[in-house]
This record gives sequence, structure tokens and C-alpha cells, in this order.
Amino acid sequence: MSDTITKRLGPLFWLAVGWLAIVSLLALFAPWLPIKDPDSYFLVRGERPPYSPSGTHWFGTDQDARDMFARIIYGARVSLVIGFVAIAFGMVVGGTAGIVAGYLRGRTDKVVSFIFIVFLSFPSLVLAILITALLDRGLVTIALTLGVLAVAPVGRLARATTLAYADREFVTAARAIGAGDRRIIVRELLPNVVIPMGALALLGMAVAIVAEGGLAFLGLSVEKGPTWGKLILIGAGSRELEKSPWIAFGPIIVLFLTVLALNYAGDRIRSYYDVREIGL
Amino acid sequence: MKTSSSHRSFRRLGAVLATAGLLVSACGGSDDNEADSEPAAESSEPAAEPAAEPAEEDTLGETETEVTLPPDDDADSIFGGTLRYGLEADVNGLNPSSSALAASGLMMANAVFDTLAVYDENGVSTPHLAESFTPNDTLTTWTVKLREGITFHDGTPLNAEAVLVNFNAQRGDPLVGLAIMPFFPADETAAVAVDDLTIEFNVNFPIADFGSLVTGQLGMVASPTWIAAAKEDPTLNQAPVGTGAFVFDSRSEDSVTRFVRNEDWWGGDVYLDAVEFYPVTDGDDRNNLLFNGDLDALHTTNQASILDLLDTDDYQNIIDDTGEESYAMMNTAIPPFDDIRARQALAYATPIEEYVELIGLGVSRRATQRFTPESINYNPDLVQVGNDPDTAVGLVAEYCAERGEETNPLLGTTTCTDGKINIELQWSGPSVVQTRIAELLDEAWSVGFNVTFQELPQDGHVLQTAIGQYNVNTWRQFGAVDVWSDNVWLLCATINPAGLSLNWPRNCDEERDALLFQATAMSDLEARAEVLKQAEALINQAFTYVFFTHTTWVNSFADNVRGVCDHTSPEGVKMRCAVSGRTWLSKVWIE
Amino acid sequence: MNYWVQRLTASIMLLLAVSMLTFGAMNLLGDPLFNILGPAAADTKPESLEKVAAAKELYHLDRPLPERYVRWLGDMVTGDFGVQFSSTGQPPVSDLVVERFPRSLTLLVMAQLLASMIAIPWALITAARANRPADRISTINSFLLIAMPNFALAVILKYIFGIKLGWFPLTFKATDPWLTRIYQTFLPALTIALPAAAVYQRLLRTDLITTLQEDFILMARSKGVSRRRVLLRHALRPSLFSFITVFGINTGALIGGSLIVESIFRIPGLGSAIVEAILREDFPVVLAIVMIITTAFVIVNVVVDIVYTLIDPRVRR
Repeated sequence: MSDTITKRLGPLFWLAVGWLAIVSLLALFAPWLPIKDPDSYFLVRGERPPYSPSGTHWFGTDQDARDMFARIIYGARVSLVIGFVAIAFGMVVGGTAGIVAGYLRGRTDKVVSFIFIVFLSFPSLVLAILITALLDRGLVTIALTLGVLAVAPVGRLARATTLAYADREFVTAARAIGAGDRRIIVRELLPNVVIPMGALALLGMAVAIVAEGGLAFLGLSVEKGPTWGKLILIGAGSRELEKSPWIAFGPIIVLFLTVLALNYAGDRIRSYYDVREIGL
Repeated sequence: MKTSSSHRSFRRLGAVLATAGLLVSACGGSDDNEADSEPAAESSEPAAEPAAEPAEEDTLGETETEVTLPPDDDADSIFGGTLRYGLEADVNGLNPSSSALAASGLMMANAVFDTLAVYDENGVSTPHLAESFTPNDTLTTWTVKLREGITFHDGTPLNAEAVLVNFNAQRGDPLVGLAIMPFFPADETAAVAVDDLTIEFNVNFPIADFGSLVTGQLGMVASPTWIAAAKEDPTLNQAPVGTGAFVFDSRSEDSVTRFVRNEDWWGGDVYLDAVEFYPVTDGDDRNNLLFNGDLDALHTTNQASILDLLDTDDYQNIIDDTGEESYAMMNTAIPPFDDIRARQALAYATPIEEYVELIGLGVSRRATQRFTPESINYNPDLVQVGNDPDTAVGLVAEYCAERGEETNPLLGTTTCTDGKINIELQWSGPSVVQTRIAELLDEAWSVGFNVTFQELPQDGHVLQTAIGQYNVNTWRQFGAVDVWSDNVWLLCATINPAGLSLNWPRNCDEERDALLFQATAMSDLEARAEVLKQAEALINQAFTYVFFTHTTWVNSFADNVRGVCDHTSPEGVKMRCAVSGRTWLSKVWIE
Repeated sequence: MNYWVQRLTASIMLLLAVSMLTFGAMNLLGDPLFNILGPAAADTKPESLEKVAAAKELYHLDRPLPERYVRWLGDMVTGDFGVQFSSTGQPPVSDLVVERFPRSLTLLVMAQLLASMIAIPWALITAARANRPADRISTINSFLLIAMPNFALAVILKYIFGIKLGWFPLTFKATDPWLTRIYQTFLPALTIALPAAAVYQRLLRTDLITTLQEDFILMARSKGVSRRRVLLRHALRPSLFSFITVFGINTGALIGGSLIVESIFRIPGLGSAIVEAILREDFPVVLAIVMIITTAFVIVNVVVDIVYTLIDPRVRR
């Protein structure tokens, strides 16, 4: 069984998973790794930072002589948490609403679908800016804001998938033997909805990580600590790009590879389970 | 083009001059300057004042550019041309009585408005739009006489009534009024029209140089007709009407504001056909526009941009770091910084050396007080402590042991957690540099402090500071040319426990107040300096400010721009060339 | 006909919901008084309190939220976006919109044009060589482009074309002649266009491959029509159908992305305006821009629908 999965998902899939695993593990165990302190200033007397990549600083340093490699790893902590929490929130709230709407149909479905449409036609970034600018810019607020934005797309997929399954024989059969709504949803529908949602979760996590970067470029990302978006922003001025491009390009490459890996893994899972591109 | 040696010599000289303090003072011309005299007589003579040569002249004097300069007294100012000027930011209105004008706004306002007084090269006021300033014996009543025959761009005559309208409009504005209130009684006795051209101002305390109060935004006189119209139709705030050398032409917010020559300016000939102001918020972008010839001039405080500007010899740079200081400031009204030990601890923990190196980039000098070392008011005995984490840790321990259970009302936590003081650091953003500063401070302060970040848009930052909702913040202020204008930020009288305080740290010291008032009433600058030094020592001892650097302003002009510092008062008194990033364009011409 | 009535009602409901959401969120979370009065908004002196009361009345801030909403809605429907929240009385919101909207529109139109100009030939070439090496490489490329965050792409393009090669200026000057501004808009437009082109190409390619296997194409081929001719003449037209759909739907997504691109390349368009306005809590401006964006989104969707019906009579309802 596992052999066939390996074959069908392809080596690239495992490469992507491997990359994600490495990044996650590095992020998770960052404080115990033999890397430099991300917040220390490694000033060399007589030399004005930023210092270019070298044996001491693999990815170079920023304008303040802080080690980019360490900062990227610590930035992963924030960026990945944001991505994970956001999509988890979207899954729980949007998934539940979508399944219930798809199962119950009728008025509930109309209302829920309308709410989804409102959120989908709202320029999502504007909503994110509104919330972060008017509330605060803590990790939790930003992760949950992006989570709220994930509700509608996730919910729509969950609803569509539920609709597709709700009339299938096994559901009708379950209902015939007297199973309650809750039981049908949890036992019969949920397992079928989970896989396409899982694929979407990976894609959604990528979207959330990118969204954090977007917020950072508008100056609205997490206030304290490095994030990938903030690291790129600091190196993105014309002067920095011209004189010290490594500041921006280190985090860009890591961010890009991570988003790529998430997209690819999500894509593969989707086609492996032959999930239709419902609502994506 | 430039040899490396001339390059280096320029930079070295630049460095010497940078330490020479008020670089702007000697800028431009040599001798006699009558407003209506032939401008040829005013054009610069670089060799005349070698000792105090400002950087601007330096670029001209040290490089081939100078060769292209026409021989001095034969140089005729040329009429024509449009000067394109790059600003740090745009403003949301150009009404001196209702818009809060910072450097960019004042730069534009300078084109269209004239101020009642201007600073001379010694930083003392001299009459400009006004003809004279006469005090009573106690220096509490000042009679201001206006010049005759001046009209605004819309034909309204300049008279006492016009000045009163401006004064009252400014006092009535919630924001602009803040800056005036401390000086004047609240009722209508503050300003009274004596006759058509004379106004009497009554002030709250003796002021030796009243004129300096009206050299900036408060001294700008706008057409009363326009002020009234702008009250009805606020869009007119974008189309200012003054008496200035340039007449408002058009404005597209965040893009360009254009003024054209005032053909019959009371101050004499205006050479430029037009000036156009372009707000370019990014310092590097602004530089690039200048380097590509898309701009003829700019101003900047961005140290990295300044490095680039000084790196090329093709521009005339007016360098001035006598203006504002950058510092961290603590709110002494609430715990923990109501305790001097907490303030001392923060000061000792502050990484000032790193700040000067990383943020100052060798451009902005380390500050220990409000004055630069070249100022006569500079107190050489004062030290700004910092980079001493051990002392800081000791003070924190002492504080926490004694007062660690109290509440920090801002955070809603106890003042100390795990032996460290809890504080919130507030700054104005979003800004990459400001964020870097916050991280730099946090890294060093963390030896004794748990720092929470609070980044606010500029307006919000000012508001929270004004109403005392902060522990410590980063700030930029002081450095008024006339020194005593800074009193509003320091006096006990400007503390308002329930509302807005202009004494942001809410730190009251009667002894310091007495000295400041004394200095304000003194005309003898040498004697006054001694008093100011004592006041400065008291500021230092209170540990309410942690001074970082003196802000460096650079006004840079392409090398074909002439007459940058040629403006004079009508009596021919040479004006100070630049004040905190703004210059005057009335006598500028393009070669 | 009934369908279109329904469609219109739904669109209006949508706009109402979005405006209520924005209006509610802004008023519950923010305090506009400070922008109108400055620090005096928080002062306790009697004259300041008077001003607070006056400003509240002027901007109707003393009225209950629903009343203010209805008032705002009434004005907006008649084309009056109100004045900006400030003590200085900046220009009316409509002035700002009139000034900024064309810049954002230019950027978006340019981006979509560029995207189509890249995507269509790209799709034709890859479809013709389906599953051959060139096509595979192109598939990888489009996958990479789609994964590329717009701000990262902006930085990369700025680095290569703006700084290293120096082909494009890094600044946008609103006062430059029209053609120069188009030139200045090229890099930001390309930033938006490249990922969009990848999306379009991917879709169009799949569609073209399917079409190419249909009977009438095989028929044409067997009659000796050249491959190129078949592609252009027979296959492309039916495939454009789905292309237009995605083109329309994607426009909405691009509007969001252009906020960030505008801010990176410092184009003073609606994107930078709304970010500034949110930070300043200038509610009327935020509302105006949100409504413009959402309305554009709704209109685009309806237009796509109409085009749908026109192109393919089968979907006529």
C-alpha cells in the first residue's frame, strides 16, 4: 500500500514534504539549535553592516548586523504558526458551517451561502487591514484575522463536497436506519469531506503565510519578532536591494520554497484522491 | 569627473564642518544685501569666508563645479525656470491656522506666505513682514508694527485686522492652538489692534525676543478673506493665499503642488517662474530623482540618503544638525517611570553607541543635551549615560524589590515580573527605521525590562503621548532656534493631569522653570547661555529623556541652482539659511 | 428575464451587506473624533469639550449607528461620498477618488492586457506541444509563478529590471505625461500580470488540449488543415469561453493584490489611499473605496455572466 502511494504521489511530493518537515523542525527546535541569537547585534568594529554572506553568517546579516539565517528560522516560527492557526480556524468554523449548510440545505444553506459570498466578494486584504489596524497587531489577532478570511473559501468547498455526497446511497441508507443528523454528518459525511479539505488546508496555509507577508509590506504584521514578511520588507528598499540584496533574497527564497512545497503537496494530494476542483 | 582625492578632501572637510555646528549660517553671500538691490551683489563669494564655509560652498569651492561659476559680482540672476523640490511628505492642507505643518508643509508654506519675523544668522529674530517689534519695560507687551502697502495675492490689504484674524484662527484651532496657548492669556487681551497697522500682543511672561515666536507657522499671515472662505469651504485649505514670493497655482495631493512667481512681491524680484513640490516619502527614491535630474532640490533627514548625497560632489548640501534631537522619553506621571530609579535604569541600559552607529550611520552626532557642542549654550559637563547594563540591572533590582507589586496602569500588570520592569514602548509607524530602533532598544533594555511594543500611526502616537497614555516612547523635538520656544515642552505649567500636556513626560521642576523663565527674559546671549546651562543640567538630572542623536537635516540643491541662501530681511539683514529642513526660495535662480 | 432580476437583487443585497459590515466594523472599532479634532478630542478643557460636541453634531457622530448608516447610504447612492474626516477639511472624498481611481484602473487594465498577451500565445504553444519537454517545462514555470507571492515578485522584478538593468524607473510621478506614466506603471503591472498569466495559461492549455481532441478538430486535421491553423481558427475560439470566465473572476483577486503592489511601487492609487485612510481612521474614504472595489467586483461578475450568455446560447436561462 505504502509503495503505491510513494509511486503515485511521486518523489517531488516527498521532496516537498521533506522541505516542510525540515522548516517546521528547525522552527520548532530553534531555541535549542546551535544557531546564532536572532536578536543579537554582531557588530564588527570599523565595518558598517550589513555584512554579506560568509562562513560566520551563512545568509549574511541585515543593516543591524543581525544574523539572517537565525532570523529566517525564527521568522518561520511566526509565519508557520500564523499559517497553521489561520487555516485551522478556517477549517473548524468554515468546515462546520459548510457541511451543515450543505446537509440541511434550505434556508440555512441560503443564509450561510450568502455570508460566504459576502466574504468572498469583500476584498479580503482590506478586511485584514481593517481588523489589524483597528484592533492590535499581536500574533493571535493576525492569525485569527487570516483565519476569518479562510472561513468562506473553506466553507464553500465543504458545502459543495457535502452536497455532492449528501444524496449518495450510504447517506440515504444511514438515514433509512434512523441515524440522526449529527451522526450522519460526523460518521458519514465528515470522512468524505476531510480529504479535499486537507488538500485545501495545505494550499490555504500557503495563502495565509503569503498574506502575512502582504500585511508586513503594509506595515501591519506582528509587532514583535521577525516574520518572513518583515524580513523581506527590511531588505526591499532600493538602497538595500542595490547594496545588500541578500537581506531580501534569503527570506524570499525560503518563503517561496515553502509556499511552493505547500502548493505542490496540496496539489498532489488533490489529484491523488481525484478531488475535483470544487470551489478552488 | 571627480578625482578620488577631491572626493576625500570634500568628505573630510564636510566632517570638520559638520562638527562646526551651524553650518547654514555662513551660507551664501558676503556683503551688503538690500532686498531690492541687484542680486548680483548678493551672489556668493566662496573665498570670502573660508573659515566658516558651509558644505554647500564646499562643494562649489573644492571641485571643478566652481570653475563654471561666473565671476562673482558680474553674476546676474537669471529670470525663469521651474525649481522642482522633493519633500519628505505631503500635508493634508496648507492653512497656517488649521493645518499642522511639519518641515515639508513649512517648506511649501514658505513659498506662499511671509512670516512677521525671520531669524538672522545668529538665531535672533529680525522683522520681516512686520516693520518693528517694540516691547514695554517688563517685556510682557509687544507692539508689532506692520509694513505699509503690502497686499495679499487676492488683493486684500495686509493690516492689523488681518493679523488678528490669523492669530485668532490659530488660537481657535484645536491643534495649532496648542502651540500658542502657553504664551498668551486666554481672553481677547492677548492681541489688540491699536491702529490700522499696529497690533499689541500681551504675553504671560517676559519674553526678550518676541519676534522669534512669529518666525514659523505662527508668524505666517494668510489672507483673512481666504481664511473666512476656507472655513466655509475646507477644500480651499489646499489653495493658500498669502503675501509670499510665490502665488499658489495648483495642487494635486500626494503628487505635486505648484506655485508661480508673484510678479509684484513686496520683497523685490522673484527669479523663478515657478516652484513645484513633490512629496517622495522614500529617502532613496528622492535621492534617485535628484540624481536623475527629475528634481532640482530636496530635503532629507534619512542618514543613508545623506551619506549618498555627501558621496557625490555634484550637489550643494546645506547641513544642519542644530535642530531637533532624537531621544526616548519617559512618562513620569505613572509607574514605573514615576520613580527615578526606573528612569535611570532605562537610561543606563540604552544602547546609545549602537544607536549612533547603526541608525546615525556616522552622519548624525551623538547627543547629550538639547545643544550641539558648538552652541554657546552647550554644557560640556553633561553626560548622557548608556551602554551600562550592569548598573541598570542593579537599579531594576532595587526598584522591583521596593515597588514591584504596584500596578502599571498602562499594561494593567504589576510593575515588575520575574525581577524585570514591565513597560510599553510606543513609536510612530509603520516605518522600517522606527521598527529597527524599537528592536535595538528592546534587545538592550531586555536586561532589566520586559518590553511590550506599541506601534501607532503618527497622529495616534502624538495623541497617546499628549494624554499621557505611554510608558516610554521614541520622539524627536527641541532645537528651536530661539531656545525659549522649547519651554512649552518643559514647563510645569504645561502639565495637565486630566487632559493634554505639552510637557509630554509630565516632569515638573520649579527650579528648572525659574531658570527657563529667566533665560527667556534675557537678551544678552552670553549671560543667557550660563542660565541655560544650569537648566540643561537639571534636565539631565531628571532622567526623563535619553538623548540619542542630533537630527541632521540636509537641504540639497543641484549645482545649477543659485541664490539658495541669498534671502535677506527688507532691511538687508542676512537671514538664517535653513531652519530644520526648510529653506527659502524667494531669491533662488537657475543657471 | 427573471434570472436577471434575481441576479440584480442578489448583487444589491451583497453591496448592502458589504457596506454594513465595513460601516459597522469601522465605527465599532475606531474613533474618528481624533482625526477631526486632533489631540483636543481627548482634552477635558471646556472649550475642547465644546468642540467635541460641535464636531459630533457636524459629522452626525452623536446619532445612533443605524441612522448614520442610512444617511451615509442615501448620500452615497446619489454619488456623494461625503467629506474626509479631518479638521482641515481635505477635499471631498469624491475628489480623491476621481484623482486616484484612474491610476489604479490603468494599472489593472495594463496588468490584465499583459497577462492575456502572455497567456494566449503561451497556451497555444504549449497546447500544440502537449506533454512534450517544452510543455513540461512550461507547466513547471507556471506552477512556480502561481506560487510566487506578489510582494516577492515585486522585489525580484524591481531588483532585476529597476536596479540591475535600470530599464524602468523606480518611482511613479503622477504629473508626468501620460505615456511616461504608462512606462512607469509597467513593472507593477508586470508583477500583477505574471502570476495571472500563469493561471490563464494553465486553464487555456487544458481547455485547448480537450478541444483539440474533439471530433470537429480531428475532422479539420484530416482534411489537411495545418496544425497552426486549426489551433488558431478552430480550437482557440471555443476555449476562450472558459478563459473569459476566469479572466473575470480573477479580476477581483487582482484588485486585492494590487493594494500591495501599489504600495511597493508607490503608485498613489486607491490601494495606497485605502491603507492610509484605514490607519488614519478616515471612515468615509475607506467606505468609498471598499464600495468601489466591491461594486467593480460585482459588475465584473455580471459582465462575465452576460458574455457567457452571448457566447454560448446553451446557458441562456
